[in-house]
This record gives sequence, C-alpha cells and structure tokens, in this order.
Amino acid sequence: MSVKRLSKLMAVLLGVFMLILSGCSQKTNQEGGSDSGSSSKTTEITLGFYSSGSADKKMNEIIAQFEKEHPNIKIKTQNAPYQQFFQKLDTQIAGGNAPDVWLSDGVFVQKYAERGAAKDLTELINKDLNKDDYYGLDFNKGPEGKYWAVPQGIQIAALFYNKDMFDKAGVDYPDESWTWEDLKKAGAKLTIDTSGKTADESGFNASSVNQYGLTFFNITEGWMTVLKSYGGGVLGDDLKKSIVDSPENKEAVNYIVDGMERGIFTDPSDLQAFQSPMSPFPSQTAAMRIGIYARVLAANETGVNYDVTVLPKGPDGKRFSPVIANSWIISNKTSDEKAKAAWEWIKYWVSEDDVQKQWAELGEAVPVKKSVANSDLFLNSGDKPKNKQAFLDSFDFAGTLDVNAVWSEWVKVMGDNLNRAFLNETTVDKALENADKEVQDVLDEFYNK
Amino acid sequence: MIGNLKSQTNIQTQVNTKKKRKSLSSEGKWGLLMISPYLIHFIVFIAFTLLASLYFSFSSYDMLNPPEWVGLENYNKLIQDPVFWKSLKNTAYFTILFVPTQTILALILAVALNQSLKGLKFFRIAHFIPVISSWTVVLYVADAIFNPRFGLANDLLLKFGLEPQKWLNDEHLVIPVLVLVAVWKGVGYMMVIFLAGLQNVPEDLYEAAEIEGAGVIQKFRYVTVPLISGTTFLVLVLSTITTFQAFEQIYVMTGNSGDITAAGGPNNASMVLMLYLFQQGFAFLKMGYASAIAWILFIILFVITLIQVKLQKKWVHYEK
Repeated sequence: MSVKRLSKLMAVLLGVFMLILSGCSQKTNQEGGSDSGSSSKTTEITLGFYSSGSADKKMNEIIAQFEKEHPNIKIKTQNAPYQQFFQKLDTQIAGGNAPDVWLSDGVFVQKYAERGAAKDLTELINKDLNKDDYYGLDFNKGPEGKYWAVPQGIQIAALFYNKDMFDKAGVDYPDESWTWEDLKKAGAKLTIDTSGKTADESGFNASSVNQYGLTFFNITEGWMTVLKSYGGGVLGDDLKKSIVDSPENKEAVNYIVDGMERGIFTDPSDLQAFQSPMSPFPSQTAAMRIGIYARVLAANETGVNYDVTVLPKGPDGKRFSPVIANSWIISNKTSDEKAKAAWEWIKYWVSEDDVQKQWAELGEAVPVKKSVANSDLFLNSGDKPKNKQAFLDSFDFAGTLDVNAVWSEWVKVMGDNLNRAFLNETTVDKALENADKEVQDVLDEFYNK
Repeated sequence: MIGNLKSQTNIQTQVNTKKKRKSLSSEGKWGLLMISPYLIHFIVFIAFTLLASLYFSFSSYDMLNPPEWVGLENYNKLIQDPVFWKSLKNTAYFTILFVPTQTILALILAVALNQSLKGLKFFRIAHFIPVISSWTVVLYVADAIFNPRFGLANDLLLKFGLEPQKWLNDEHLVIPVLVLVAVWKGVGYMMVIFLAGLQNVPEDLYEAAEIEGAGVIQKFRYVTVPLISGTTFLVLVLSTITTFQAFEQIYVMTGNSGDITAAGGPNNASMVLMLYLFQQGFAFLKMGYASAIAWILFIILFVITLIQVKLQKKWVHYEK
C-alpha cells in the first residue's frame, strides 16, 4: 500500500471517528426535537434513582407496573448507590444528558433548583395534586414560594429509646412531656463507664464510657435539632443570612457541650470508635438517639427492644423535628413531552394507594400520601417501633434543615466549628462567632456575587 | 563531473529540507500514521481536557451551568483562602514525613530480603500484600490498631501507664498516623523496585571491595548506595508524586461512611490538596475553583520534579 493510499485511509478513519463523536453529542438534541411531534407514539423517559438491595427491586417492580398501566410511556432506569449516584448525576447534568426525572435527597433539591437544573413544578402541582392529601410538599418550596420537587418518601425525626436499658436502670420511658434537660437527667442514669458506675455517681470516668445516654451525630440527628428547639438556628427566613451567633444557640451548644463533657452524649471522637456514626444505637451502646424514620431498619435488623416518642421540648416549650423530603425532580432541560410523561410517573407515585402501600411495606420512609401513612398498614405493621404515630405527630412541629443552594458547604463550615467546641478545643462563644462569619462567607459567595 | 553531481545532490537535499518544513516526508507520514491511535487519544482525552481545565480555572463554573470567564478571580481567592494554605502545608508535611520514611524503610527491607534467607519468598510476599490490598481493607486493619475504644495502640499505651490517644481525631496525630499506615501499605512496592536495583549490582564489585578489606557497612555505603542511586531517584520521584496526589486513603480514613464533606478532619488537620480540590469541585460544585487548585498542584509538582532532576546530577550515577 502506498503512503498516499494509507493517508487517505487515515483521513477516512479520522472522519468516521469525528462522526461518531458528533453523533454522540447530538443524539440527545435530536430526540428532543422529534419527540415533540405526535403524542400517540410512545415516549421514553430516563429515570434516575439511588438505592440498594430490596429498595432497588421494589422500585423496578413499581416501574414495570407503571409501564403496564401507561402503555405509551417507557421508562429507562439509571441507578447507583447514594454517593456514586449524585456524582454521576452532576456530571450528567454538566454534559447535557441528565435523566428526565430523578430522585433527589431532600437536602439537594435547592442545590438543583437554584442553579436552574430543576423544572418549576408549581403549576403542575396546583393543577393536579390536592396539597392537603400529602405530607411534605411545602418542604421543597423555595423562599420565593415555588415548588421544585414532589416528595418520594419522608424522613422525619423522633426520639428512639432502648427499653431494655431503661428497664435495667429503672428509669421511666421518655414521653411528650420531656424537655432536653429531662433527657440529660435520665441520660446520666443510663450512661455507664467501664467500672459500672453511672454518670450521676461520683468516681464516674467520662473518658471510658461503655454505654452512652444519647448518641449524637452531625446536623440532622445532632445539633440542628437542639439549636432549633432552643429557639436558635443557622439561617434566617430568606436562607441567605447567618443567624448563628445568637444567645439561644449559645444556650443550646452549652447544653450539648456539657452533655459531652460528662460523657452522657457521644462526642465526635467517641463516634470514631464505631464502624459508622450511626451504629451506637443499633449495636446497643447508646440508650437513646435522635433518629430519622429510616433508622428503624438498622434497629430492627439487630433486634433492639426499642420504641420511639416525639423529640423533647426546649426550655421555652418549643419543639422541633427535622424533616428531609426525598423527592422527584424533573429536569429543566427535558422536552415538554418527556416532562409530561415524567409528571405522569410522579403523579402515579404519590397518588396511587397501591404504590404508596408497596413502598410503605419496605419500611424506608414515611409514606407521602396521608391516607396511607395514617392507615394500619403503616402504623400497625407489626414491626417495631410500636409508637409510629410519634413520627406523624412530629409533622406539627417539623421543619427543614435550612436547606438552600449551598447547604453542603455551610453545613461543613458550621459542623467543623461546632466540633471544635464539642471537643473543647475552643470556647462555645468563639466557635459560634467564627461559624457565624464563615457561614456568612459561604452564603455571600453564592448569593451576593 | 563527479564534483558537479555532488553539488547537485547537495542542492537537492537543501531543497528537500526546505520542503520538509512545509509538508512531511513519507517517513514522517508513516510515523504519524503509526502513532495515530495514541495521538487521537492524546488530543481528545489529554490535551483537550487539560486545556478545558485551564479554561475552567479562569472561570466560574458550577457544572450545572456553562462556565463564565472571571479572569484571575479564582487564583485571587485561592491566595486568600486559609484552608487552601492549610492543605498545602498539610500536603508538604505529609510528604516530608512520608517520602524519607518509606524510602529508607524500603531500602532496608530490600537489602534484608536480598540475602539468601530461608522462607525468602514468604517474606517478600508478606510485604507486598498491603500493596495489592484496597484502601478499604487497609482501613480495617488500621482501625484494629488505632481505634480509640478497641484499638491495640491504646491498649499498649494503657499497659505502660500512658494516656490513651484519639489518633485520627487528634489534630496533631492525624497526619503521622496516616503516614504510618501509608508507609505500611506502600513500602512493599518500593521494596520491589529496590530489589530489582540491588540485583543489578555486579557481584564482582563486592568481591573487589572485600579484597580491599571493606566491611559490610562500607560495602553498602561505597558500592550499593552509588550503584542503586538511579533506582533511589526513581523511588523518590514516584513517592513524592503519589503523596502530593494522596486522596483515597485520607478520604476513606478520615471521612465517615464515605461522606466527602466529612473527610480531612479534625478541623482540616488532614485536609490535603487533592481532597480539598475534590471537595470544592464535586461536593460544592465549584469546578472553576477546583481547576485552579489543580493547576497550582501541577505547577508545584512540576517545580519539585525539576529540582529533583537538577539535583540528581550531583548524586545519581548511571552505569555507562
């Protein structure tokens, strides 16, 4: 073969390669264009979700059922474990080939909404859903009053307690009359060191605790819950201003630091000793925990004898239960027809009793549809905890975790500062003062460029 | 006549070389064709991505929206960012502890395992096992030692009547502990490289040295060390680069349950550049800022490697 012919061949090969490349990048656009024509032909949408094990199987069953009932919609699924799912999702959005509809962790809804990746669902919700029938729609509302997502399942927190430990210590079970101080008092009797002494006895060694009164971790199942029931919090109503440096927060953080110093609450370095910061309660090393609904799974798996009640009150009688509404988001970039099909899926998910029941049986989340959540199927399923009503009662004083577009970032800054106070590396005053400044910096960088 | 021909060919070649600059000779074309699979790979997946990240480093880019040119803003912010300086300091600290420790230990092990010992293969394999284990596995081994509640390290301290430590949760201990575990995992690989180097040292040199009356230490100092200096140089460069790019270990060992935003603690005491880059880019969607960190990291590595290459002339001997 002569060089001339060879170089021709090479040019052809290069051309083919380029064609393939451009073909890849144009595919999505073409689909979008041709789809908007007729409505009788089938629409294929991509659905992304994070899951594992049994949830994965159940989700696929529900999708198959949906396709059977909606013969002109086909669903292509895309799923991965939690961490990978969100990493991939962000890259997909960047590359312009995001799924048409995806399941988002409740704390990420605003991240997508405020950056223009989520479709505004306000009109669709107003038209098709009776808001009083569902829990949690308002938890995805931005401060401007628009709805960006529809809950797939609700995580709301309650106080978990280990009945065996309470019985053994002769302490009364917690109830709705408890304040955080009551919790600490009871916790002291339930905290036992290696020599068998409890935290309210003299000679108790707080640095070698065998059983903790309360396991305490991070934001949701830790500081935010206490801060808010003490009347404090992190962000103001518009979610663009830090309110960290307040007397209420100081009181709350002092309460927490005291509990950690006395060994009653787990501090961040205590948690390092466990396989996961979630494990003290299911492994029966802590008598109580602040836990979102999904924590019943691990507790049931290890067979803890436990129940739940509403979270304690703050000093002024204020109560707060953190809520995370994991939700369906429709991509803002998808075509009208695909968005319509995606909306059919969301409607199917939240309004069909059968779907809601199937998902409730998995026991991962509080059902979105109120009628299903208030039915025997959820409340008296036979699985622990007995008092599931406590989760539903908590909706009366539930609130989000001040979720905005830069949530992950300010949570890190806030958490780092609080942890220093928790580990006695700085004073509470200084920690809050510093956190206030750093949280504001994060907010300003995004909102006041 | 002959002379005339010669001058003609001379002119010919001159013309040819002039032409060469404009279009490639047939050999050049062949060459290009042969390397084209790699060339295409290089252009699409390396050159293009490099240029893209350079562009991102001068723009504000959240991945979800197209990048916006902001000039030097990212680099300006970087200079004023205390966490960036802290992670740079931590990275340097990690490297200064890690590189010499691992290199010296790898050399000692290689010399020891270059003798004719019984069960030699077993020992070599034993030291190599951590290299092929994943970081998650290593994490469990490390946890058995440094777990503040159940770990062997604290048991030992207590036995000697010393205060138990928080290890990975102690701002001052976290990097030394990470280095220790990294050395344990990495030393086997460098040992193998040293072994290869040692086996290339000709026996007769040792014999000659012995005849001259050199002892074990002298033989090591004046024969082994200079003759494996090329290998030592390679090991130094490789370990420096890997420590500057250390990510997985710190991500796995200091985060909880794979939460990227929790890694690098306590109080950013184990925050290194790669981790900070990843966190800023993928967890906080500040891809422009992350790209700027990447370029700074590249420049630092480039300079260090240049210095190493310059310095090698002073101490590295290659056999001619």
